[in-house]
Parts: sequence; C-alpha cells; structure tokens
Amino acid sequence: MWFLSFIPDSFLHFIILTILVSGVGLYILGLLTNFIPVIYPFKEPIRIVSTILIVAGVYFLGGYNTEMDWRKKVEEAEAKVAAAEAKSAEVNTKIKTKIITRTKVVHDRQIVIKRELKEVEKRINEECRLDPVVTKIHNDAAINPMSIAK
Amino acid sequence: MKQFLILFSLITLVGCTTTAVPVAVKFPDAPDQLKIQCPDLKLVDEKTLRLSDVLDSVTTNYTTYYECKGKIDDWIEWYNLQKSIYDKLK
Repeated sequence: MWFLSFIPDSFLHFIILTILVSGVGLYILGLLTNFIPVIYPFKEPIRIVSTILIVAGVYFLGGYNTEMDWRKKVEEAEAKVAAAEAKSAEVNTKIKTKIITRTKVVHDRQIVIKRELKEVEKRINEECRLDPVVTKIHNDAAINPMSIAK
Repeated sequence: MKQFLILFSLITLVGCTTTAVPVAVKFPDAPDQLKIQCPDLKLVDEKTLRLSDVLDSVTTNYTTYYECKGKIDDWIEWYNLQKSIYDKLK
C-alpha cells in the first residue's frame, strides 16, 4: 500500500468511503429490485458490482487504516529517536567536560610532582647511585607484555 | 458465490499487511577524546644511573595510567548511559 503515501489523506479517505457507500447503496438497491420492476433485469449485475465495490471498499479502508496506523507509529518512533539522540548528545557533552577536567587535574598533578622531584633531584642523585639492573627492571615492567608475546 | 466471498475476504485481508517501521536508529557517536588509544609507558634510558630519571619516568607512567583509567571509566559510563537511553526506545 506504499502508493497511498503519494495521495492526499483526505482525498483518499473520501474516495474509499465513496466506493464503500456506493457498494452498500447498490447492494440495498439490489435487494429492492423485486419491488422496482424497471431495474429487475439488472438484478444480477447490480449484485455483482455492489459486491465488488464493497470488497474493494473494505480492502482499501483496511489498507488506509493500516497506512495511517503505521504513519502514526513512524511519527512516534521518530520523535522517540530524536529525543534519544538529544539525550545522547547531552551525555556526550557531559562526558567531554569530564574528560577535559580530568585531563587537567591529572596533568596539573604531574607538574606538581615533577616540580617537587626537580627540587630534590640533586640530593637524591647524590645519595643514591642506581645499579644498572634497576633501569632494566623498570623498562621490563613498563613494556607492554602483549608486544613481547607477538 | 460462496467461493467468491471467501476469495474476496482473503483479498481484503491483504490490505492490512504490515511492514516494519522504517525508522533508522543511528549508533551514538562517542566523544573523540575517548577514541584515542592509550600510549605505551615511558621507558628510562638504560645507561642512566640517576634515581631522579627513574622517578621521572615512574611519575609520567602514573600519569599515563590515571589518564587511561579515566578513559576506561568514561567509556563504561558512556556505554551505560547510552544503553539506558536506547533501551527505552524499545
């Protein structure tokens, strides 16, 4: 029933109701043929045409209502998705702000610690001379084990 | 006539055929900062015998760790929040 989306709703509804009402009207007329001698010879064609019109009317009415239901559902779903995307963007902004704050705090802390280290650098280097194995152990621990495993 | 009625009834039911709602939900985009991989840890020049150099490297590596930990925490938070938002769509 995709083609229904190209026709204006009110016009479509009017056409469908016209088909259905014409069918019902013709069917009633078909029942009265016994009392109206002029149209008696058309009794069978009237019944056939009215049946076809009723079936077509019911078919299109069903299709129209289904189409309208789906359009409503699509609109609801689109509204929900738009709301979810807005909320999602809000979450991203919140997390971005958090990242900026955290990065600054972590870096500032590093600067403070390194400044502290700089102040005592001379003293600790005078008092302590490292065994070369210390740097090797440090580097071994710092190397990503997965890069060694490759 | 009865056969026609059955056939026409079947045809009328076809009019109620439904299809899936054509609304695409876009996968949410994560903040760019979270998409950067964590760096490798800093190594010390193996020739150095200065404790301050080792301490400097350790400090840098701790910073790297906290940055990376923060990133993982943010990913978890991002995922949980986005999931709760998109679960409500169902």
